[in-house]
Amino acid sequence: MGTRFDVLRKGGFGVVGAIIIVAPELSHATRGLSDARSHPRAPRLHKGTPLACVEVLGRSVLERGVDQMLRAGINAITLLGDSCFAPVRGEIDRVAANFPFAWGDDAWLGATQILRRHKEPGIDVTFLVRAAAYVELDPVDALRFHREQQQVVTRAFDEDGPLDIWIIDTARAESEDILFMLGESEPARYAVQGYVNRLEEARDLRRLAVDSLSSRCRLRPQGSETRPGVWIDEGAQVHRTARIVAPAFVGRKSKVEEQCLITRCSNVESNCQIDYGTVVEDSSILSNSYVGIGLDVAHSIVNGNKLLNLERDVTLEIADPNMIRRNGIPRKEAIVQPADVYGWDEMLSVQDQDEDKRVLDDVSEV
Amino acid sequence: MLISKLVVIMELPEELNRETAQNFWLELQPLLESHRPRIVLDCSHVRYIDGAGVEMLLQCLEEAMKRDGDMKLSAVSPESEVILEFMRVYRVFEVFPTSEAAAQSFSAIPAEAVPQDAPLYAGLFADVEVLKQAS
Repeated sequence: MGTRFDVLRKGGFGVVGAIIIVAPELSHATRGLSDARSHPRAPRLHKGTPLACVEVLGRSVLERGVDQMLRAGINAITLLGDSCFAPVRGEIDRVAANFPFAWGDDAWLGATQILRRHKEPGIDVTFLVRAAAYVELDPVDALRFHREQQQVVTRAFDEDGPLDIWIIDTARAESEDILFMLGESEPARYAVQGYVNRLEEARDLRRLAVDSLSSRCRLRPQGSETRPGVWIDEGAQVHRTARIVAPAFVGRKSKVEEQCLITRCSNVESNCQIDYGTVVEDSSILSNSYVGIGLDVAHSIVNGNKLLNLERDVTLEIADPNMIRRNGIPRKEAIVQPADVYGWDEMLSVQDQDEDKRVLDDVSEV
Repeated sequence: MLISKLVVIMELPEELNRETAQNFWLELQPLLESHRPRIVLDCSHVRYIDGAGVEMLLQCLEEAMKRDGDMKLSAVSPESEVILEFMRVYRVFEVFPTSEAAAQSFSAIPAEAVPQDAPLYAGLFADVEVLKQAS
């Protein structure tokens, strides 16, 4: 039986590579393109963790995207992080622990450099993906379309417009003009037939979890299905008096204490603790969060000490650590291997120390 | 503070934490010691309530009910609603959109409708006697 790699070869697609970047939207990057080139440290718009790097049902969309590429037989994958996300680098490295990231001042410019390098090892076609939306796309079908269109660039679209997924003919592309070509030129338009969630705001994370738990998309929770619709990941502890009503998910190393109720498409991500008697209904508890005793979390997203109520569109930062807070020690599994790609930012190592300090603070707080 | 037809309307502070709740309680306590206290707490300025704040609200309700009175909330902001729901106490309170509506709700059942001095069951035995004689 042939692998997907064979399929790519036999399909005449040549060698296929991929560049996945964690960066602001291209429109922001291209708008100030000339500035970005002359002043690569210009401040950026985005500060928070990109939603594609947040765990949903055990894994981030970024990790799932990389997996999708690997399964399709695309092994030459480069991951680039933009320094505007440096404050959350620790978090991104943690969720992408198995995939070493290269961080630089401008991930878009970094991508053009990688594209230029792709020509040398003879990579014929390159997927350029900005880690943003969750898109169910068949890479082989997209490549077939790209080949048929015979254009240098193909861009994925859904019914709401363009997505940040491009297929580029590495050999035919002039690297210098890649950013301009992506932003301004008229590429071939590949219509994505599968499920798309643009992950533009926090409520999209919740929608993705609900859609997955209700089998409206192909995203499957991590761990094992202990009862129909109840997914429990590795090392999770659910007290025998706690009740998990399907569909629901309890993430890795999370604890659901006595008399708790997790119900209506709720997901408790990794390393969380839901304390005695608390009810989690139609809600997402993001990783490393503690939810206190006897509370009622409904139609909400909890992230550390922040609570977003989706019904009322209210975000609260709760100072009382007995109610909600960051939980214990965040997982530190990321093995970051520095890659010599482009413009290393020394500030990032300082950021890592801050991250370590924050972890210690969390521990002492607990 | 506004006293209208023996209904006391008080504005809660913007942040109801341990300190402000304690100060507010000191102000409220004498009013709760009256007979059948009718209190409306105006939450229009409240942006944050913590556990101590919620405890104070529950204590206030308890004290009012002990004396056959009641305590109602008005103009609760979405933020406060979320906190009260999160702490499972929202359904305990009667909530009105405005303080006026909350105050009027007290007069919907006039105080005179229930005899103040005699216990509630006082008339019940007389009715039973009438029924016995009739049978």
